[in-house]
Amino acid sequence: MIIDAYCVLGTDREYDLSAEALLRGMDQAQVERAIIAPVDRYLAVNNSVGNRFVSQAAGAQPDRFIAACSVNPWYGDAALEEFKRSLGEGARLLVMHPMLQGYIANDELVWPLLEAATREKIPIYVHTGPPGNATPWQVTDLAERFPKLDFIMGHCGATDYWNDVNEAALAASNIYLESSLGRPFTFVPRLSVVGAERGIMGSFAPNNELTFEWAQMREAMPHEMWPAVCGENIRRLLEKRGPL
Amino acid sequence: MIVDCHTHWGSVWTKQDGDDPRKWLAVMDKHGVNKAFMFGLDNLHRLDLCRADNDRLARLAKNGGGRLIPFGSAWPQQGPVGVEEVRRCIEDLGMPALKFHPWIQGFSTADGTFGEICGLAGDLGAPILLHDGTPCYSMPEQIAGLARRFPKTRFVLGHSGLLWSWRSALEAARHPNVWLCLCGPHMRAIETICRRADPDRLLWGSDFGFGFADSVRYRLAVFMQADIPPALREQVLGVNPFRLLDLA
Repeated sequence: MIIDAYCVLGTDREYDLSAEALLRGMDQAQVERAIIAPVDRYLAVNNSVGNRFVSQAAGAQPDRFIAACSVNPWYGDAALEEFKRSLGEGARLLVMHPMLQGYIANDELVWPLLEAATREKIPIYVHTGPPGNATPWQVTDLAERFPKLDFIMGHCGATDYWNDVNEAALAASNIYLESSLGRPFTFVPRLSVVGAERGIMGSFAPNNELTFEWAQMREAMPHEMWPAVCGENIRRLLEKRGPL
Repeated sequence: MIVDCHTHWGSVWTKQDGDDPRKWLAVMDKHGVNKAFMFGLDNLHRLDLCRADNDRLARLAKNGGGRLIPFGSAWPQQGPVGVEEVRRCIEDLGMPALKFHPWIQGFSTADGTFGEICGLAGDLGAPILLHDGTPCYSMPEQIAGLARRFPKTRFVLGHSGLLWSWRSALEAARHPNVWLCLCGPHMRAIETICRRADPDRLLWGSDFGFGFADSVRYRLAVFMQADIPPALREQVLGVNPFRLLDLA
């Protein structure tokens, strides 16, 4: 199964991706399923608006879309409630965006949320790369503290934490590397170091163009890596909670 | 005409080819790139190799059939020696511009000698391209600070803020002596920058040459497929680079 591990559905400042447009892009790129996440605004504030929008879209296309949810940990108990509510609506991935949500990735602020995610067998996608508060080694801290939880290092620390990515990932076996913004020409060589079983392809559409990113990855990636990196690895993580 | 305004001659190329840029240029040929602004790598990583790398860039340009435009560098930590190296690059080696990488070279944009260099570059008409998008010495706002202090000097943000600071790069580009090189932001950011920034001060680059990985393929394709008016695309790729260097 070919899965795009990170797309953003909805409208925000510079982009607008409808379900119809996403499905068209997926069909063109021969992507069977896509994880869909809320837009930036609803990662930062009013999380439930974004989560509900995404879960409704996923519910309307259960064979194509997989819902991700996000809650800002600064909401405290309300964040935990919203997380549980989102899981009840079918969310299968929790998104952390430390830059937009205003904390340092390894801050204890997020621990209650990660404890809940551990109980619920929900993997965590962390947007990495923003300097200072969303770095690869901060993900390693989280991965060590929550060894039963799977962490997806979104964007491989792109751009200027690219040096840290391989060592940070090798330090904890529950870290997976997601390709978007990491660029195919640097992402693919990483996998020979970290292992193809820990690579995950995501387009980050519509910030990137989905069909373009998939075409570029097809050209850059050895055939033998393709099934694992472009679907099976993320599927394995998502299905710890149950079949998709 | 396509000019790649952000490339490097990395150590791996020296090891493989010495001063012969033909294989390096073959990568450019593969993608239809006609000319390139070429920066060093050794001169940004090691003070002790800076002068020699500047000399090598000059030789590469000579061997490149007019296709390579070398940017020199220097280390402000050397004080007057660093300033003199800047003068040598421009006046003796004939380099039209300079490249600095403050976080790798380890100096602040507030460094006094770097201020002297910025002033000198303005006096000599040599633009300064800096790495940007990374704290704590290379943020767009810091380069905008230089632009305020040295209004005669043209500054290029070598990465337009990379992936997370491109909005700051747009702010920096309010200053008429700040240019943006589209080398790093994602496609939607590139489109937004092209809509909002001064079209006369936009460049494109690939960051090719650190190693052998072909970054031109991806980054040129992003720029070509982005939703940008064709006339602007042509201007960015083939007109603005010459204007920056007063070669138009």
